[in-house]
Amino acid sequence: MTSPKTANREAIVAMVINSLNDLYAQNGITSDDAPGESTYLVGRRAALDSLGLVTLIVELEQKIEEEFDVALTLASERAMSQKNSPFLTVGALADYICTLLDEQRQA
Amino acid sequence: MAIEWLLERMEQARDATAIVWHGVSVRYGELVDRVAQWLTELDDAGVAAGQVIGIEGDYSPGAISLLLALIARNTIVVPLTASVAVHRDEFLTIAEAQAVIRFDDNDGWHIDRRDVTISHELTRALIAQGHPGLVLFSSGSTGKSKAALHDFAPLLEKFKVVRHRQVTLTFLLLDHIGGINTLFYTLSNGGTAVVARTRDPDEVCAAIERHRVELLPTSPTFLNLILMSEAHRRYDLSSLKLITYGTEVMPQATLQRVCEAFPGVRLQQTYGLSELGILRSKSREDGSLWVKIGGEGFETRIVDGVLHVRAKSAMLGYLNAPSPFDAEGWMNTQDMVEVDGEYIRILGRRSEIINVGGQKVYPAEVESVLLQLPNVRDATVYGEANPITGQIVAARMNLVEPEDLDSLKKRVRAWCRDHLASFKVPVKITIADGDQFSSRFKKMRRS
Repeated sequence: MTSPKTANREAIVAMVINSLNDLYAQNGITSDDAPGESTYLVGRRAALDSLGLVTLIVELEQKIEEEFDVALTLASERAMSQKNSPFLTVGALADYICTLLDEQRQA
Repeated sequence: MAIEWLLERMEQARDATAIVWHGVSVRYGELVDRVAQWLTELDDAGVAAGQVIGIEGDYSPGAISLLLALIARNTIVVPLTASVAVHRDEFLTIAEAQAVIRFDDNDGWHIDRRDVTISHELTRALIAQGHPGLVLFSSGSTGKSKAALHDFAPLLEKFKVVRHRQVTLTFLLLDHIGGINTLFYTLSNGGTAVVARTRDPDEVCAAIERHRVELLPTSPTFLNLILMSEAHRRYDLSSLKLITYGTEVMPQATLQRVCEAFPGVRLQQTYGLSELGILRSKSREDGSLWVKIGGEGFETRIVDGVLHVRAKSAMLGYLNAPSPFDAEGWMNTQDMVEVDGEYIRILGRRSEIINVGGQKVYPAEVESVLLQLPNVRDATVYGEANPITGQIVAARMNLVEPEDLDSLKKRVRAWCRDHLASFKVPVKITIADGDQFSSRFKKMRRS
């Protein structure tokens, strides 16, 4: 197995935004602004409902496995118990993915 | 003797064809004579009443006549087929088999003695009564196989009622309650059991054509295989009058397609458990999943949406698990049902229900919607743990032609959004490497 590539934050943000756009399209969600780092993924200001968020997370896990050849669990007890929710915004989720990928690389 | 009446009926039908095995017809007279011959051979082999005897084989004339002889001798029979070969030794140990008679492809046989003393209380009690027995192993699709010990006498009781004489394809094997049911139904009515060489859709359809089969008892998974392979278009299946399906939940989409593919053929849902025997059943219409079940010797009730059954032909108990019966003899089938008057609709096993944030999802309902998509050969839906919603709906798909996963996901989500509540839409979608059914043509929902 090749060692995981260094997590490139920009690429990860793009991956999250791409997946989010796909989900919007598949679920007929129209959003006023194009998704960006500050787009909310959960809560009153989010266009996604809880199932949409779960779907996004599973999508990303599958994509990360394809691209980086590592199986990450994004939705875990650890993620749920973080002081700042890694699922709040696109940016926060991208940061969390980078952290997990870096840990994998060092392991 | 528990089958004296059956042997008498078979004697009366001497010239009728009892079995067509690998293309060779065997008449009832030959079968009855073979039973008598077995009784001598069993004497020589030291097989006496109260012994536990394994049979390894399919519906060959030798194996069927041996089964009848072993019942006549009041032994406890453990039928084993090639489909459970990996569990053979484990099953023989659980059943405490004292000898195994194995048949080869030419119906030759060989007996192996096993040095075993029977210790299980249930088995000992049955032997003390002097009744023949039957040990069946559940498929164990969600866990370890359980060994059901039956008193063969009450199991055979219902076949005394004379019913239809028909040519039947033996699809479910001898180690399955459905296979035992098909065999004794056929023999007790002077019908003909047609044994296909393999359970490949083309082989089965060819056997139906060649031997003018009228009844095909099968499973939804196998019917799906016939439709996908289009085997039904390559053979003359005009002799078919009735297709029965059971052992798992039928997806509405598959039933619809079977209706269209087999116009004029009656479709009948069956219901039974290796612990209880097969109930009598009547589907509301050919294309309907609503079914009335019960019949002489069976009582049913619904408790909190779950079907409970009490049966005169119920097993004595498991040999390797606690009894599933309550003090009054009712068994919780773990099958969730919907009720409409005297009809029920089976939704799925309680253990297979997916709980998404407190809302229930039945795999069969989602599978039925997925199977309507183009390029989808099969779909298995199961639950996966998720810390946000408790569980998520996951779908593993078999495709006809290779397809990019992203494009498949888009099609699946768009289709499901219009046909399912949002919490039932598969969150995780993967493409399967191989077929997703067991050797008994039953869907496997393991994640």
